[in-house]
Amino acid sequence: MAYVATRGGERAIEQSERLFRSAMGEITEDRVAEIKKAMPYLIDRVMGEASLYDEDLAALALAQTGGELFEAVLVLRAWRTTQPRLHVAEPIGQDELFTHRRISAAFKDIPGGQVLGPTLDYSHRVLATEVLNGSTYAPEKVDAADKPSPAYQPSVAVWQAENDLLDLPERDETRPEDIPDVTREPLLFPSKRAHTLQSLARAETGGALALGYAAMRGYGQAHPTVNELRLAEAEITVTHPKGTQFSAGRVKVSQAEVVSKKGEKLELGFAATMGWNEVKCISAATLDLNSKGAEKGSATEEEFYLYHTEGVESSGFCIHFKLPHYVTFQSSLDAMRNAKAKKSPKPEPAE
Amino acid sequence: MTIAIEAPRLVKAAPLLTAQNVSKNYGDVQAVRNVSAEVFPGEVLGIVGESGSGKSTFLRMLNLEETPDAGTYTLDLPEVDGNLFELDRFARRMLCAKRIGIVYQNPHLGLLMKHSSSGNVAERLLVAGERRFSVLREKAQEALEASEFPIERLDAPPIELSGGMQQRVQLAKAIALEPALLLLDEPTTGLDVSVQALVLDTLKRLQQERKITMVIVSHDLGVIRTLADRVMVMRRGEVVEAGLADQIFQDPQHAYTQQLVHAKL
Amino acid sequence: MSLSTLTKDWEPMSYGFLDASAKREIRRKMLKAVAVPGCQMPYASREVPMARGWGTGGLQVSLTLINPKTTVKVIDQGADDSVNAASIRRFLSRVSGAPTTLDTLDADLIQSRHRIPEEKLREDQVLVLQVPNPEPLRPVQPNMSIARQMHADADYGRMWLQLYEQIVRSGRVMQGASYPSMVNGRHVMTPSPIPRWDVPKLHMAKHLTILSAGREKRIHAVPPYTRVEPLVFDDVPYKVEEHGDLTCFRSGAKGFFMNEIPQDDGSSTYEISDSEYGVKTIKQAEGTETAFGESWYQDGEMS
Repeated sequence: MAYVATRGGERAIEQSERLFRSAMGEITEDRVAEIKKAMPYLIDRVMGEASLYDEDLAALALAQTGGELFEAVLVLRAWRTTQPRLHVAEPIGQDELFTHRRISAAFKDIPGGQVLGPTLDYSHRVLATEVLNGSTYAPEKVDAADKPSPAYQPSVAVWQAENDLLDLPERDETRPEDIPDVTREPLLFPSKRAHTLQSLARAETGGALALGYAAMRGYGQAHPTVNELRLAEAEITVTHPKGTQFSAGRVKVSQAEVVSKKGEKLELGFAATMGWNEVKCISAATLDLNSKGAEKGSATEEEFYLYHTEGVESSGFCIHFKLPHYVTFQSSLDAMRNAKAKKSPKPEPAE
Repeated sequence: MTIAIEAPRLVKAAPLLTAQNVSKNYGDVQAVRNVSAEVFPGEVLGIVGESGSGKSTFLRMLNLEETPDAGTYTLDLPEVDGNLFELDRFARRMLCAKRIGIVYQNPHLGLLMKHSSSGNVAERLLVAGERRFSVLREKAQEALEASEFPIERLDAPPIELSGGMQQRVQLAKAIALEPALLLLDEPTTGLDVSVQALVLDTLKRLQQERKITMVIVSHDLGVIRTLADRVMVMRRGEVVEAGLADQIFQDPQHAYTQQLVHAKL
Repeated sequence: MSLSTLTKDWEPMSYGFLDASAKREIRRKMLKAVAVPGCQMPYASREVPMARGWGTGGLQVSLTLINPKTTVKVIDQGADDSVNAASIRRFLSRVSGAPTTLDTLDADLIQSRHRIPEEKLREDQVLVLQVPNPEPLRPVQPNMSIARQMHADADYGRMWLQLYEQIVRSGRVMQGASYPSMVNGRHVMTPSPIPRWDVPKLHMAKHLTILSAGREKRIHAVPPYTRVEPLVFDDVPYKVEEHGDLTCFRSGAKGFFMNEIPQDDGSSTYEISDSEYGVKTIKQAEGTETAFGESWYQDGEMS
């Protein structure tokens, strides 16, 4: 039959997926465990963008997609969205975060102290090529401080508010289970505060950086100072149906507060995400800082940056242009040809 | 502050436009303070004052772009009654689209700079519900001709036109539907003097031919003198003096007005 | 009594992939969309195991409507065997157990990207169109919150102006696919990027059409027997693509929307875009008894 020639579609897509997967080879528990162990920051980034805290699932998603980040996040999000919501944990304050790293660029010293914690910030970015020649790269031993810094730290912004340097946002007393959830309802504008912060928490790191960087370079009105950056662990406190509160474990979180001078006070921008991801938190907080009063259509306007830093949507739309578009193309072609024909002078029939 | 305005000489009918005790603050700045005005059908009210006097803010309120903190605004038209400041967004939009024309000093506020000039005029007809392409074209052309716009440039986008021509496109757009009220916000400011005179001529001719009710705002007494039947002088958000144009120009009462008139002369 | 007797066994996914709460939300939004024809209803739009922009909106609606007895047809650009159509069809059937078909006449539910089949749909059929961009105002107003307000005010002057400008510049309306259309005299909608050829099929149609944009999180609908009128000036008639006289080189079918296939000699040949209609035409020519539904177009003219 004449049509058989065009019916190769199903087989072709099957084989193309096999081709991709066979290049990955077998995926085993060991491989997943190795990814989890070797790449905690990648795992963190993926968990944050997927808004699903599970290191094993994140490692599995990375293994399964060969590290194609957008695909890994999509796989996790699609899994996440079908899971029942069992419980909403208690809100947690900054001073209750088990803090590993906490720095402020605003003051030389702050109550609680600067805690550098683990970072590559001051490292020399030299590739350890000797590893490829067979030597093992062994990290040097950490010398513990004489006096350990306190695990729980007060908030810098609270100190500033007490000294009348900034106004803290009004305390939101919404009960945890009533907080609007952007994964269960549409994002509309002007957006609810909870939706904004949730969307930023899920934002694609590169996208948040691109727009945040634009604001930092001068396309925004406010120049950020990092008031406080934290890498911490947050206690997940849940309530048993019988009323007992208990900890269900800790998750890694990061958060950034940036400030900028506005009149006699400081203005505050905030972002937090699951996992440790400093670049994203600072960028997202900068967008938040700049968003008030931003012009419609500018990079720091809420609608603009929340839509365009949504990684699953933006990457999906980008790759969809590979799909055939010949119907739309044909339709445009028809209009173009017809318009062209109208313009080219045709001999008029004699009257 | 209340200012008695003498009965106008042109018409004896009820005023078309009545604004009473209009005030508007921006933060701590009182942009407009307790301003009242009446405009009779076919009349031209000129509002003069230096920048920051509140005259443009007042005009934007008459165009329902801004809502005052206090005051009322009525137009004597069959389709509306009551305080227009209380209309909802939709009713405001429809009223402005159909009955009020405006020419801004800045053509970017009034025009789509990259659309065709005729399209800019046609948009107003489209909003009013005209759905025949041939009629849109015809009426856009008519309005542009009436505004002395060079008709061979009918479809040129305003961005390619001179400042004077851009103002003519704005004017054509404003009069395309024969508006009940035409608002002019510094319509000739920033144009070359010679061009300014030509645009003013067009405005004057249109006003005389069509008896359009106008409110014109300008810092330029010459412009006001050319067009206005009556004049309101504003300073720091308040009306300091109001009266017939001849009276204001020949015999200004308030010290500020005297200063303005003499500076000009 | 134990927990295991009170609950269902663990399963890796819900029936039809989406969980009950997601389906309930979509059902509610579909009802709203039917109640206000052409008006875009925002919905949460869950992630599904397919990339955004690849029919995830249509897929969520199909997953919500589907049951084991629903016969499903999936087409992309008119073709059942297009790679993405094949992928969606396989997924729908895998998670729901629903039977699939290629024949428009046999389908209860048709999910389509950018085409409406050439055979008339019936009252018992539902058409689900995938929508990349649900907002007809996007070209004149990219900001969604402003556009939403414009719909509320029926503020469509800019839309009309766009048509005016195209005629002034090019002598005709240049809109290709996604021709903006007034639904029930109130809301301007995009019919999704179906060709102009297909838009009249929606007008007073017997079937329900649900249009769903997953990435942009909007559902709108054209209920049965609803007016769908392309935006046109009274004196400049609506023109569909000039395909009425073209003949499919494979099947000999004539008077339908075609795909143009460029030839080595610089000319073009054409094949029918509704691939299954082409297959049926071939079958009939080969002598197999084949059932055809009434087509919207006859001899290249909308009937």
